[in-house]
Amino acid sequence: MNVAVTVDAREDIPVWLAYGTPVFTVLAALAVSAIALVVLDVNPIAAYATMFVDTLVTEFGLTETLTKAVPLILTGLAVYLPLKAGLFNIGAEGQLVAGALAGTWIGLNVSLPGLALVPLMFVAAAVAGGIWAGIPAYLRAKWDVNEIITSLLLTFVALELQSYLLRGPMQGGTGNFPQSERFSEAATIPELVSGVHAGLLVAIVMVAVTYVLMTRTRLGFEITFVGSNDEAAQQAGMSKYYVYLFVFVVGGAFAAMGGISEIAGAQGRYRAGFEPGYGFTAIPIALLGRNSAVKVLLAGLFFAVLFVGGSSMEVAFGVPAALVEIIQALVILFLITAEFFKSYRVGIDLKRGPAETPAKPQRGDD
Amino acid sequence: MVTFIAGLLDATVQAATVLLLAGMGELISERAGVLNLGVEGMMLVGALGGFITTVVTGSHWLGFGVGILLGMVLALVHAFLCITLKSNQVISGVMLTLLGTGLTTFFGSGWVEESIDGFPQMTLPLVGQYLVDLPVIGEALFRSTATDYLALGLLVVVWYFLHHSNLGLEMIAVGEDPEMADTMGVSVFRLRYLAVLIGGGFAGAAGAHLSLAFSQLWVPGMTAGRGWIAVALVIFAQWRPRRMLVGAYLFGLLDALRIRSQSISLTLGPDAPLAGVINPIVEFLMTPQIMGTYPYLATIIVLAYAVIRTKSDQLAVPSALLQSYSRETD
Repeated sequence: MNVAVTVDAREDIPVWLAYGTPVFTVLAALAVSAIALVVLDVNPIAAYATMFVDTLVTEFGLTETLTKAVPLILTGLAVYLPLKAGLFNIGAEGQLVAGALAGTWIGLNVSLPGLALVPLMFVAAAVAGGIWAGIPAYLRAKWDVNEIITSLLLTFVALELQSYLLRGPMQGGTGNFPQSERFSEAATIPELVSGVHAGLLVAIVMVAVTYVLMTRTRLGFEITFVGSNDEAAQQAGMSKYYVYLFVFVVGGAFAAMGGISEIAGAQGRYRAGFEPGYGFTAIPIALLGRNSAVKVLLAGLFFAVLFVGGSSMEVAFGVPAALVEIIQALVILFLITAEFFKSYRVGIDLKRGPAETPAKPQRGDD
Repeated sequence: MVTFIAGLLDATVQAATVLLLAGMGELISERAGVLNLGVEGMMLVGALGGFITTVVTGSHWLGFGVGILLGMVLALVHAFLCITLKSNQVISGVMLTLLGTGLTTFFGSGWVEESIDGFPQMTLPLVGQYLVDLPVIGEALFRSTATDYLALGLLVVVWYFLHHSNLGLEMIAVGEDPEMADTMGVSVFRLRYLAVLIGGGFAGAAGAHLSLAFSQLWVPGMTAGRGWIAVALVIFAQWRPRRMLVGAYLFGLLDALRIRSQSISLTLGPDAPLAGVINPIVEFLMTPQIMGTYPYLATIIVLAYAVIRTKSDQLAVPSALLQSYSRETD
């Protein structure tokens, strides 16, 4: 018997595959992660019930999720926007930290009434995040230096800087913890509804702005054009230089707003290590939502559920919160596997007896 | 002063070995055209696997082997996704780091309290016993763990393999111009798989060295960004094994200096001219966290300098890096 695997590029994607992929990948990731739960002698169904149901039906779970979603949506946008122009920003974490540090400095050292101070903190954060993202953007736009590596490396610079500032010039509070002084009332982001701070509003507005930008404006069209074919875009008279700078700098500003929202809204003071890898989670969020800014919002909410559900599962079953990281990684690994099946039709031919022609795969994989 | 420098050199060698092992793996993988941002995750898996094996069996060499093997398992996933399924290398790599971090934190939580007999310090065979008494450099260079010597030996092997063996040259060809290599009868598919697997093995070895020789214990997330430094190191070294030796020891020295920076005083005396201006700057630059940024900043500067100064065809970046390959579309 002879088995030949054929792989052909698909002309178009069937509807069930296009819409089923995110659902299927999430279910597959949960199924595989269940193995880890069984190893720890935890009933996966009970654990997942805690993870998702408690998170979505209790008031505490819901407010936690909405709060957590703020930095996730904003960093998601920070990856989404450059992705639209064909660039990879994997330094959203660094931009978030740089922004949060700048915003915190303003919040602790400038005295203004709350109505003026909080917006100023956001502006300071956005400027710092924009500058932090502007370095890889400029190097890429002007000199073609790979933005993936530079934005990543700058993340580690930002994390060291955070550690330096919170152990030195910006350290406050009691004890030896690397953290800042507590924010005053004026520097705290007010609550929108009970338990949810107004950073959520900022995130939603930024999603709307991005949505309008990408679907209704000439610049959005240029970004998409540069992202799909930069040479054709150049010939059509568009400047790759400005598009690259724009998407990265604005993306960095988004991430930074996420950082200051989390600090001045949810935390109340800058604690070192407050960011459990938001910038890296932003990558799956941007990928899940890469078709539209609204989907970035939904993906951000989904990952917020994962994070919050993960910690309630930790409390209820003693399962390490690291399970969330595993699920997160698996979702994406399955998602990029599914991408392959979206773009290629895989067929298996079973032939009896020795084949007349040697069974050779059609694709050049040997 | 002599004791201080001798101790510093000793710490440098140890720190450099981790970077050298992980960096060599990354170098091979990238030379074949596959960027591996999963090194950090592969190192962690290797570190935990090696540690558990050593606790259970008592054999650190067995642990070292298991570490290599587990690094390769994670690399196999990367290879499958990037080469067979032509997925994005950046996404796959970052997610594998996340997966490795998650898995090791999840399964390693019970092993934090365990202790092991790791690799002992030994003098270099044959010549070590005569040279170990040399002042300053003797202890650092001729009394180390077996894995330190192994890493240096492997560097020679990697250098020879890449630049003087048929297989290695074919691998480089695959990373530069897969179509041409394919036309010449080289299997792009097979060589890339091989390169990624070797890379994962090296990353696993680096992790195992970390837990079995460097710190002799397991702590979640103990690689502390060294996997990313290894990625940076390859760029710093411009994809050349010999420069990587220099880079690994330079970054290793920074690592060692950083840990000891509090005990170093480079400030001027109060009466020296400009002491009031220079001393605060020097103190700032010598802060451990600020020193921690140097490897990253140095790499960005080197990368930018290299790209700006040289024409792209003279730059050593493998031309097909980050590009998946398939016959029909090209």
